[in-house]
Amino acid sequence: MPVLLPIGTRKGLFLVRPGNGGSDWQVEGPLLPGWSVYHAIVDPRDGVLYAATNNPFYGATVHRSSDLGKNWERAEEIGLPEDSGLKLNATWHIEPGSDAELWLGGDPGVLFRSDDGGLTWEVNRGLLEHPTRERWQPGAGGMCCHSIQLVDGTMYIAISAAGAFRSEDGGESWTPINKDVAADFHPEKYPEVGQCVHKLLSHPARPDRLWQQNHCGVYRSDDRGDNWERLDGNGLPSDFGFGLALDAEDPDVAYVIPEVSGEQHFTPDGRLGVYRTGDGGASWQLTANGLPERAWAAVLREGFAYDEGGLYFGTQSGSVWTAPRGGGEWIEAVRDLPPILSVEAAAV
Amino acid sequence: MAIVLLPGTLAAEAGGQKRFELDANTVGEALRQLPVTNLLFDASGELRRLVNVYVDGVDARGGRLLDEPLTEESEVRIVGAVAGG
Repeated sequence: MPVLLPIGTRKGLFLVRPGNGGSDWQVEGPLLPGWSVYHAIVDPRDGVLYAATNNPFYGATVHRSSDLGKNWERAEEIGLPEDSGLKLNATWHIEPGSDAELWLGGDPGVLFRSDDGGLTWEVNRGLLEHPTRERWQPGAGGMCCHSIQLVDGTMYIAISAAGAFRSEDGGESWTPINKDVAADFHPEKYPEVGQCVHKLLSHPARPDRLWQQNHCGVYRSDDRGDNWERLDGNGLPSDFGFGLALDAEDPDVAYVIPEVSGEQHFTPDGRLGVYRTGDGGASWQLTANGLPERAWAAVLREGFAYDEGGLYFGTQSGSVWTAPRGGGEWIEAVRDLPPILSVEAAAV
Repeated sequence: MAIVLLPGTLAAEAGGQKRFELDANTVGEALRQLPVTNLLFDASGELRRLVNVYVDGVDARGGRLLDEPLTEESEVRIVGAVAGG
């Protein structure tokens, strides 16, 4: 099935499609010029294109298009209850739900649900009023709820820097799942909450398994987040990074793109490298065939995606790279876009 | 009818319409009739901090802002605060 890559950038949304034979990638855009698109998806249930859109003058919202970007509707005001004392700073991540609903993660560490296709959004009270909220703090990108995963009736979210949380009652209540996950910047190295998760993913073929790229390491859990094993001592050049991708079928496979450190957000050793594990994180191998050796690149937390066909990531220097699933050469599908904030892969 | 002029990003959100003729006695009344109200005001009803409003070329933030009176001949121009160098 043809792939469509919605590429969110600081200057709008681009839709990237492969040309004939899988090369000569076509670029459409910018759509929504003037908006920073933190994340965009095509909902596999109905083909609607959604974008989490932010503007320094006009605030944070969500746009939706039923015709792949020709016409757009904007959500009604996405607000937080006055009694919370909080204001919405940014919309970060849109995730299709398990039924007809949509979920939206935002800053300051908030989650919303929509039951009308993204036109109106209701805040999730369980997270808004979480008893640990006063111990959360914003990371460099704000206090963003950036990861939302739904698998086998369980929801997982992750917030930087509040940690990861699990809900088994549809979002009514949230249990912190941060045991043995380090927070080196925190007075207490292993607090209950406050970890700086950069990306969290679950694998549909193995619902109990979670992966996370954290500010302080790469981790895997095989028991729905109750316990985590740290994996970055197994061949990664750095424990720091943002993007994370899995394999569509093999739950033992994961990919990360390490960066030097929290102070230096670029790739180690001047090499743009994707590291792959095929054994659940016991070892990692560099897969860089085709990637530039002299590159000080940065890939943001929403900038790495995968599907049945391959891997896709976008850099802050405006390049989109892709490689076929299972290995092969990386090619630069697109270059010179505005700074890339997000990459997704959609079948259309 | 007062005239309200939108900048490019807001005009795109208003279906491409840049110019509105509105029956309004104040700046606030005019702005709240626009189809981009929720981009101008935050959830608590405050005019967003980086949205500037000029009435006949004069910055309304230096006057009565949303209570600034309008006449039939008033021209209201919405401008994002200068930023970015």
